[in-house]
Amino acid sequence: MQKPSAELLIAYLDGELDTETSKEVAAAIARDPALAREAESLTETAAALRVAFDDVLHEPVPERLLAAARGEVGDKVVRFPEARKALMGPGIARWRQWASLPIAASVACLIVGGGLGYLIAVQAPGGLVPQPPEQVAAANLNWLDNVAGYHKMLVNAGPNDTALVDIPADPKSGGGRKLALPQDFHLPDLKPWGLAYQGGRVLFIEGRAATQLFYTTDNKTLGPVTVVVATTSLPDKAPTPEQRGDVNMLWWRHHGHEYAVVGTANLGYLWNIHNDLAWQFDAI
Amino acid sequence: MPQRNKANPDPLSSRQAGSSDPPAPGFRPVSARFSDQLVAVLPRLRRFARGLTGSAVEADDLVQAACERALTREHQFQEGTRFDSWMFRIVQTIWIDQIRARDVRKEEPEAEAERIGSDEPMRRVEARLALAEVGLALKKLPPEQRTALLLVTVDGLSYKEAAAVAEVPVGTIMSRLARARVALQAKLGGGRGSKDDAEA
Repeated sequence: MQKPSAELLIAYLDGELDTETSKEVAAAIARDPALAREAESLTETAAALRVAFDDVLHEPVPERLLAAARGEVGDKVVRFPEARKALMGPGIARWRQWASLPIAASVACLIVGGGLGYLIAVQAPGGLVPQPPEQVAAANLNWLDNVAGYHKMLVNAGPNDTALVDIPADPKSGGGRKLALPQDFHLPDLKPWGLAYQGGRVLFIEGRAATQLFYTTDNKTLGPVTVVVATTSLPDKAPTPEQRGDVNMLWWRHHGHEYAVVGTANLGYLWNIHNDLAWQFDAI
Repeated sequence: MPQRNKANPDPLSSRQAGSSDPPAPGFRPVSARFSDQLVAVLPRLRRFARGLTGSAVEADDLVQAACERALTREHQFQEGTRFDSWMFRIVQTIWIDQIRARDVRKEEPEAEAERIGSDEPMRRVEARLALAEVGLALKKLPPEQRTALLLVTVDGLSYKEAAAVAEVPVGTIMSRLARARVALQAKLGGGRGSKDDAEA
């Protein structure tokens, strides 16, 4: 394949291509440093976009929207668009520009008050129903921040510092602690990639225990790689690239399990490791 | 544990079921499950709408309108299909209608200034996080590209799911998304995008 089109490259980064085409694009990226930089830049832009809107998910939902969702209409809900249209002529619009600061302060107070009201409503008997876990998890990829942060610490610690490995590869020095791996699950073998298993740690994803496995290598350009294994009730998801700073990730869901491969190496390399992991997991 | 399950064991029945009293004024009967689904998806709808409109207030207006429309069309929602996709489609449809109406009205610049002013708190936060440029770059994209970008890149829908929401073929989503991503990359610095890409 010559240089892939922007459409193809982006579809590859979004995990939307079939295996064969993905391999071709990955190979093109591996051959062409400029294309690799472009892929990296596109991934960074996508990550910035997600981060930019992430805060909205954590804001308290205004009471008027909760009321609207419950079917409370009429006198109970002020219809803001109509109210604004009725109130606002050109003169008022100009005045509001000057008055924006005190209004902003009032809005901030309302937000705080609304947030408290929301919390009270959530905790009240018969109050709001918590979000179903599927939807919470679908909207929340914070666990990727967690694993990327830990991976970064591992990189900074260096290959000889094992303080960050909670449960070492050697079971005798593990203090009886066990990894939270699914039953009949075998540790992935990444020796063909020059990656040696060092141990792991337990974390929580979707409220369930999960495992982050650490692999190190002498090849500094590839750096250490970590693999995350979790259980999930969410539907299958094609491999999806993510980036946190200089940490690249590919994560996917398959048959009730959620996985991620994390590293500072380029996405093409991670993609190939993902292929190997997927093959090993399927063989289990 | 919600108390209403004891009073109303059938989650699909109306909230007023089991009561001989007529619905209270201003309370539209709606099935508990439908309403719960709607409440659960509100944060994602707000995020989607915020990206479409570029304004916190307008976004919430849009979501409120979408909730009201959804409740009047509850019977049109097909069980077994994705509720979130259905709601995204409603939000997008209302937003497109609003854009068309605004184009017809040729909205006054003062109104635009008012929208920016009313979002000042949010904008200050964005600026502090050095993320305002992302929002501004997004606002410069054509509506259909913005929609594709928000559905796939921000909300994580697959191309197929996004195509169902936008009611276009998967290939169209693919090309819109590529143009949007390249244009956004160019606006945020670097990349092979150009102004022409965004306007194509």
